[in-house]
Amino acid sequence: MSAVQEARKEIAVSIERKPRVSVINRLMNQLSSVRFGVTLLVLLAVACMTGMLIMQQSVQGFDKYYAELTPAQRLVYGNLGFFDIYHTWYFNVLLMTLSLNIVLSSIDHFPRAWKFISQKKLDATRAYLLSQKLNNTINLEGESHEAVVERIGNACHQVGWRVRVALKDRRAVIFAERGAWNRLGAYGVHVALLVVFLGFFMTAQYGQTGQMSLTPGMSSSEITGLAFHLDQISETTMRLPFTVECTDVQQKLINKDGSLSAMNTMDWLTRIRITDETGSHDALIHLNAPLDYRGYRFFQSSFNSTGNARTITLELNPQQGGEPIEVTIPRNGSAKLTDGTEIEYLNFLPDFTLQGGQADTASDEYNNPAARIGITLPDGQAKAVYAFAADVPDNAPVGAPFGGYKFKLKSFEKAATAHILSVQHDPGRIPFYAGSAFLILTLCSVFFFSHQRVWAIVEEKETGTFEVVVGGDTNRGRLNFEDRFKRMTSSIIGQTVKVQS
Amino acid sequence: MSEVLRQPLLASATATERRGLRSFLPAIVAVGGSILLVLLRLQLGGAHFISDEGLMLLALACYLTAAVFHLTNLYAPSEMAQKAGLWLATTGVFFNLSSWGVRWINARDMELAAVLKNGGEMPWFFRYIPFANLYDLSLAVAFGAGITTLLIANRKSFRFLGAVTLPLASIILVLARFIGSEMANLPPILDSYWRPIHVGTASLSYGVALVCFAVAVIYLLKDKVKPEAFAIWSSIFALVVLAFISRGSIFTAGVYRASAFEMMGGKGSSIPLRVTLPWVGQILIVVGLLLAGVIAAFGMYLAKNNEKARSWGHRFLRLSFVALACAIAMFVGQVKTMTNIVSRIDTAQYATFGKWLAEQEGLKPEQVAQIPSSQLYQAAADFVATRGNTLTLNLKANPVELSALITALVATFFVILFSFRTERLCEALPSLEKLDSLMYKTASVTFALLAMLLITGAVWANESWGAYWSWDSKEVGALVAWFTYAAYLHTRIARGWTGRRSAYFAIVGFLLIIFTYLGVSYLLPGLHSYA
Repeated sequence: MSAVQEARKEIAVSIERKPRVSVINRLMNQLSSVRFGVTLLVLLAVACMTGMLIMQQSVQGFDKYYAELTPAQRLVYGNLGFFDIYHTWYFNVLLMTLSLNIVLSSIDHFPRAWKFISQKKLDATRAYLLSQKLNNTINLEGESHEAVVERIGNACHQVGWRVRVALKDRRAVIFAERGAWNRLGAYGVHVALLVVFLGFFMTAQYGQTGQMSLTPGMSSSEITGLAFHLDQISETTMRLPFTVECTDVQQKLINKDGSLSAMNTMDWLTRIRITDETGSHDALIHLNAPLDYRGYRFFQSSFNSTGNARTITLELNPQQGGEPIEVTIPRNGSAKLTDGTEIEYLNFLPDFTLQGGQADTASDEYNNPAARIGITLPDGQAKAVYAFAADVPDNAPVGAPFGGYKFKLKSFEKAATAHILSVQHDPGRIPFYAGSAFLILTLCSVFFFSHQRVWAIVEEKETGTFEVVVGGDTNRGRLNFEDRFKRMTSSIIGQTVKVQS
Repeated sequence: MSEVLRQPLLASATATERRGLRSFLPAIVAVGGSILLVLLRLQLGGAHFISDEGLMLLALACYLTAAVFHLTNLYAPSEMAQKAGLWLATTGVFFNLSSWGVRWINARDMELAAVLKNGGEMPWFFRYIPFANLYDLSLAVAFGAGITTLLIANRKSFRFLGAVTLPLASIILVLARFIGSEMANLPPILDSYWRPIHVGTASLSYGVALVCFAVAVIYLLKDKVKPEAFAIWSSIFALVVLAFISRGSIFTAGVYRASAFEMMGGKGSSIPLRVTLPWVGQILIVVGLLLAGVIAAFGMYLAKNNEKARSWGHRFLRLSFVALACAIAMFVGQVKTMTNIVSRIDTAQYATFGKWLAEQEGLKPEQVAQIPSSQLYQAAADFVATRGNTLTLNLKANPVELSALITALVATFFVILFSFRTERLCEALPSLEKLDSLMYKTASVTFALLAMLLITGAVWANESWGAYWSWDSKEVGALVAWFTYAAYLHTRIARGWTGRRSAYFAIVGFLLIIFTYLGVSYLLPGLHSYA
């Protein structure tokens, strides 16, 4: 008998016993019913589809979408909360009611499932076996009662079922089964789902997410979050319990001569130094490899696309003749020549231009790259000059020789001006991950295994003649069960048999 | 609702011999063979090796031929047809997986040349795993459907399944063909080991869902759902396709307009400027009228058992098939041959196209809204005048529209086929009980895989950008499909719903999956725009 049939019988019996049901019980029955659960699933699906088809306010491009709507659409959708449907009260109520339904229906059905493990049905009548999905009646001759029982036991064992035998006078009932724990799998799935929901709730309630723009040499202890209200976006600031200093940004390009665009990038690396009461800690964050620190996670999020250089290699041509000198300097770093001249890397302009007498960049691209460098001569004389990648005449207003050297930007390692990190504080992550892992395990245990049960009754009709009635059923995996059942019956009689199903 | 599970069935115990590894031989051969072929490609290099697209086309040819043999076997059972169908399907899966594997190596070679030239670091091998765009995903989904068909074929009685699943897998490969196999540099955010885990699960779940859908359709056929009822549903589907393609211009303006394709620097892309294809729209209107006739005639037949209406319905159905085939042929022919397309661009769309041009220049919506429509019109006119020579027509410009038309054609074809000797066809199919059991099994696997898809996606998102759930369209689409399969399983386990009601659930679940797979990618904005 299937779980559904057994459940129906029990419900029928309970209805007979309790003709009057109180309002609270009726409400509880409704809340715990599968029908109600399925209705909730359908309502949630409808709400989700609405959220899919009507653009949500946090999605990029919402302002354009909103601008194209008619005033009537804005009014109706807005009042119904369709622009942020996943955070509306009714969506939350649906989720909470579904959670309640899962809890109550699990409580309701669990005792019945537990009976399959705690109170195994070791006895069965002939009529019960003949009412099973698969059944067969076999007549055997010329063997002892014990030999027949042993043969059936062995046949069941061969196909992977655990066997128990109950002997009573001239009648033996053989009970064989496998995968009884599968009956509890669904409750495991429900527990896992509730843990996932708990994680989700904790993230929504206590989680913080913001962004932090980091330029080498700068530090910050604040993150900026975004709050959406229709087509208006406002910023909120949150303080971190530590200070983050950027020490280096690096961008690994596929084609080093190409642009800084995302499609030409293999990875972004940000090196930071975190300072708090425990001291200073150096760390690296790169794409798909976040950093965890004191419950906060740092992710690569985006970058300031204005071209910059992580390192510059300068070619210094002595004005008095001689071999050129090459010096490589990291961003915000400096180098000292053998003659005592110190060169400091101050700034980088990817597309150098003069605007109102001030050096600036005409675009974000590396069209006319120039590095601003500070020169300090051994005698203390100091000046900032520009080193260009392109050839510049000696009499140019910028890029003129200084300290006996003419400076040329020989090469540089391309990097963004700043990296933008996403910072997340999410106490719901661990329950979410734990629930998810448990969900996968329990789903596999539910759907890739089954609880198969078989009974056989052996009765001696005449001396040396036995009638064996075999019947059984499974909660899922019917085709597999049929195969086993047929193999088992074949094994009992060793020849072709017909199986009634 | 049918009460099939209560009907008795006699089965021979010896008919089911123990199925060992040997019964999975086709699946093992297909997968093992592809691994060897990919290794060979790695060893020999790509210069004289068959391209991944070539392998994909071979897979398509094998799937279609295998489907023909499976169908033949259903109507005229023969051991030869069954074996030919099985081994051609095996060959198809072999080519399908090989195409995907060779693409992996090709992607690596393409980028490696640039990286090594610059003295860069050798990227890790999994960076190139072909799960980077909709073409890759389509290859994998077709493989998922193919391998599931082969795995199920370990039971002889289910080998017929290829007759329905393989044409569906073929449609997916046709879609891939129209999307185009061009490789682009991988968006950096996708360079994660979670990508193969997540997208691999997605392709398998979509593939198994496709098989579940096929079983559900066959179940309904076996359960004596009249082919005329199928015809009504397929006609409604075809009418919906006609209503939505070409931005609804078939029924509003009586013309079909294909997207223009702009070729720049050897690369092409679709732009939101539509070119009128002569006669296609008019033929599609005829198709629409015939389909409406099919719905009316079969509706009358089903409601009043009117045999005359039935007869007319079948005539309309066959005519609609021929007309749709003509429209598709005309579509493809004109896209391939039309040269001067500028003269066929309707200037009424200039204002809208001008807006798009303004947005491409980085203007915000409120800025675009302030531009007078005459200025937008002029911008579009200037674009057509100056860059008209770069505009062309290409099948890759409208992959979903063309695939939807082909799907409507195939659906109509199958309904016509199923109307032919239906009784004989039903006799050749396994029992309702077995079909129901298989449907439940495939739905269960789909449900479990969809759960894994959602979880792996959430973990990947959380590891990459710090939010495991963003209510992104694709996430929500997969969630809705998961809800549907959850409802299917719960109604079955707890309320004993089997048979037709389960089949309807399975069909709705698959339609939602298709919407998630294609509809979300093409119609809705979101984080999954790459696939």
